[in-house]
Order: sequence, then C-alpha cells, then structure tokens
Amino acid sequence: MSEDMVKIKGGSLGLSLTFAPQASYEDIFRNLQEKLESGSGFFLRGTMVFLPRDVLSDAEREELQRLFHEHGLICRLQPLENEKPAAQQAAPAAPAATAQQEAAASHNAETQEMLVVNKTVRGGQEIRTNSSVLVCGNVNPGAQIIAGGSIDVRGICRGMVHAGAFGDTSAIVVADHLMPTQIRIASFIARSPDQMDMTEKAERASIKDGQIVIEPIER
Amino acid sequence: MSEIYVITSGKGGVGKTTTTANLGMGLAMRGKKVVLVDTDTGLRNLDLLLGLENRIMYDLIDVTEGRVPYKKALVRHKKYENLFLLPTSQVKDKSAVNPEQLVKLCDELRQEFDYILIDCPAGIEQGFKTAIAAADVAIVVTMPEISAVRDADKIIGELGRADKENIKLIVNRIRPQMVQSGDMLDMDDINDILSLECIGQVPDDEMVVTSTNRGEPCVALNSSQAGQAYRNIVGRICGEPIPFMTFQKEGWFTKLKHVLGI
Repeated sequence: MSEDMVKIKGGSLGLSLTFAPQASYEDIFRNLQEKLESGSGFFLRGTMVFLPRDVLSDAEREELQRLFHEHGLICRLQPLENEKPAAQQAAPAAPAATAQQEAAASHNAETQEMLVVNKTVRGGQEIRTNSSVLVCGNVNPGAQIIAGGSIDVRGICRGMVHAGAFGDTSAIVVADHLMPTQIRIASFIARSPDQMDMTEKAERASIKDGQIVIEPIER
Repeated sequence: MSEIYVITSGKGGVGKTTTTANLGMGLAMRGKKVVLVDTDTGLRNLDLLLGLENRIMYDLIDVTEGRVPYKKALVRHKKYENLFLLPTSQVKDKSAVNPEQLVKLCDELRQEFDYILIDCPAGIEQGFKTAIAAADVAIVVTMPEISAVRDADKIIGELGRADKENIKLIVNRIRPQMVQSGDMLDMDDINDILSLECIGQVPDDEMVVTSTNRGEPCVALNSSQAGQAYRNIVGRICGEPIPFMTFQKEGWFTKLKHVLGI
C-alpha cells in the first residue's frame, strides 16, 4: 500500500516521482522521509529528483525540496512534456547511439556541475551522478564511480570508474595514481594489467582513435 | 565516563573474539570495570576463551526479552573481579536481538562499567548492524591478507553509513619473517587502502592458540609477544602514547650492541 503511494522511476536525468492520486500530501511527505532516512542507497547524494507538476501547492513543493536538500539531493520540477521523450529514450542500458548523443548534448549544461566527495570511497560503495565527480581521497578496490561527466581522483584510484556514462565520449578520468580494475569511458572499456605497480605520476585516461589511452600529466 | 567499543572485522577468523577477550582482560588488569558482550548469537565463543562456559546461567536473549535483569546474566571472571561477561545464547540466532534492545541494554551497562566491549559477529547482515548500534568507538580487526583487508574496507564503509566515525584499526596475526621477505602485506600496504588510525599490531603467536584452548587470554602471559602487543593496545586505549614494537628477531650481534649501549 505505502509502497505504491510514491512511485520512483529512474531516468537518464535522475529520478522522477509520481504520487498516487488518492494519497494525501502528509502521507507522501512521511513516506519520502522514511525512504530517505532508511538510507537504502536509492537516493544517493547528488542525484537529481523531479517532482510531478500541477500536483503540489507552492508551499508543499518547497517543503519537499527542503527535505531532499537536507539529504544532499537536488530537487526540481519535472521538465515539460515535450522535453521528456529524449530523456526517456536514453534511460535503457544500451540505447541507440544517436539517442545517447542527443541526451548527452542536452545535459551538457548539467555535466558542467561537479559533485565533490570529500572522503575515501570504500569497497562496496557506489557514487552515481549525472555530473562530473571530484574525489578528494582514494577510490578503493570494489568501489564504483559512475559519472555522466569526467572523474578526478586526488588520491589513489583502484576501484571501477566509468566516466561519460551517458554517452559523453569527451569525458576523461584523472587520478594522482591511476590504477583501477577497469576504466570505462562512454561505451569503451579498458582493463588493468594483471600485475600493477604503484604509478609514479598523475595520469589521464581519455578516448583517442576509438580506444582508451592513458598518458601521464603534470599537476 | 564509560565507553562502548565494538570489535568487528567483516571477515571471519581474523581474531575478533580473541581481541575482545584480550583487551577486556587487559583493561580489567589495569583495574577498570569491564563487561564483554557477546553478540555472536548461535556461535558463541567468547565464554570459551575466558574459560567461563560452565558458569553461564542466563544469556543476552533472556536479558533483552526482559526475563531477567542484566545483573543476573553477568558472569564474573574467575581471577579478575572487575571483569564480566554477558554471554549470548547458543540455541537462538541473530534475529533474536534487535539494535534498539542492545542500545537500551548498553545504556544501562554504562551506569556501572568503565568499558563495554561488544564482540561482533562476522558478516555485514543483521547481526553486524545490531552489534554496532550502540558503539561509541569501532575497532576494526584485520589480517595482513588481501581478502581480510578488502572486507575491512567494506566494513569501514558500512560503519560510515551508520554514522560511526570513530574507527580504529588493529592488524592481527602479522608474521614478521614473511613481511620482511615481502610475502605478506606490510603496514604501508594496509594503510594505503584503509587509511585508519592504527592502535595495534599483533604478531602471529602460537601462545594465542594454547592460551585460547586453556581459556586464559594471552594478555596475562608475560612471555607472549602477542600478549605484549595486546597490553600495548590496552595502554593506547587508556590514552598512553606507546610506540609500536618491532618484531625483527635480533641477531646475537645486535643484541650485544644493545648490551654494550652502542
């Protein structure tokens, strides 16, 4: 019953919420509050959440936005219908390349934003965002970072990193010590050698001529 | 001012229970009033390590379900009067206790004890979540082994998710010769991944096995290297700055040098 009160649908832009017509605002608020506080991992920090249009009063909308903001999520109103189809198409795991490019282009403004993670990302933790990510700390083995934009690790990167996860082939991965299990950029995948020594210099991974190239950089 | 410690690791067999028994006894030897709470319901071992199995009357489940007050379930140690064990049940399973019950119990224990040490079960499920619920400080025990370090990393992440930010590290079962020859992870490798404040490095010591079988934690044995390491950890918990011991076996020549004071 309470499960159906708020429906959450994942899209390429973020999560869209729809509310059951019979549910009162108080119930919806309480339901969302429980979901957020349960820390189920569904609502990751930095995720974009879209509220349905024409359902909430201004005061209610503001209260919900404040609730999401407290938990580190970005809360907006659902984009207008005519913008929606492109975003919806891009949602499946392997959409057609054109739709992907389109979606990437329309989110360019968004990938300019950056999510800053001020701690070490440990095994089993995942950071998933539409924007770019800056990690001030290490990315440990078993951790995953999936970003719509680029990824910068100021520390040792040993986890799995996926930059340009929504098709942006210009995305890059930079780390002080770049030694991940896998690097993925857009739809390209590179695996680390089986024996990996500590790298000396900061390195950058990017796509060149249809493959992932890693080169040392100064910083 | 009482403090609640949870001793956890993720992986099994790295020495959580051994560490709990030794730290508890070490603190008691310094005159602190200590209670050890075993939360590994269904697989209880802590009583064996302390040699108290035959004195158990009631257990943690009896207390949390309100059948007896906690004082009735406490088992006093044979030798150290201010060391108590709150054993758990061997017949129930982990679902028999929930986090709220343990928090409530620990709040009561706080009134009476200086240190409350909670022995956490292996894994990251219900039992782990219950065990860490009440803790002020988490002690993560790991071994210089890649799987143990990975699991410790995961556990630290889970602790962070539960808002436990005060986390310390103990590296157990170090084999100095293997570390020296490069066959075992050294402290730098472990720090690289875990980056935590380390409060103890315990060597692998055969005496741990024999003392475990006898039910007398090795912290009380002066001849044991591991016992010395545990005594150092206890000192650090009490706020003393104790340097880490070096494990290299000294050759007779360096020993002679020490004697001559060169």
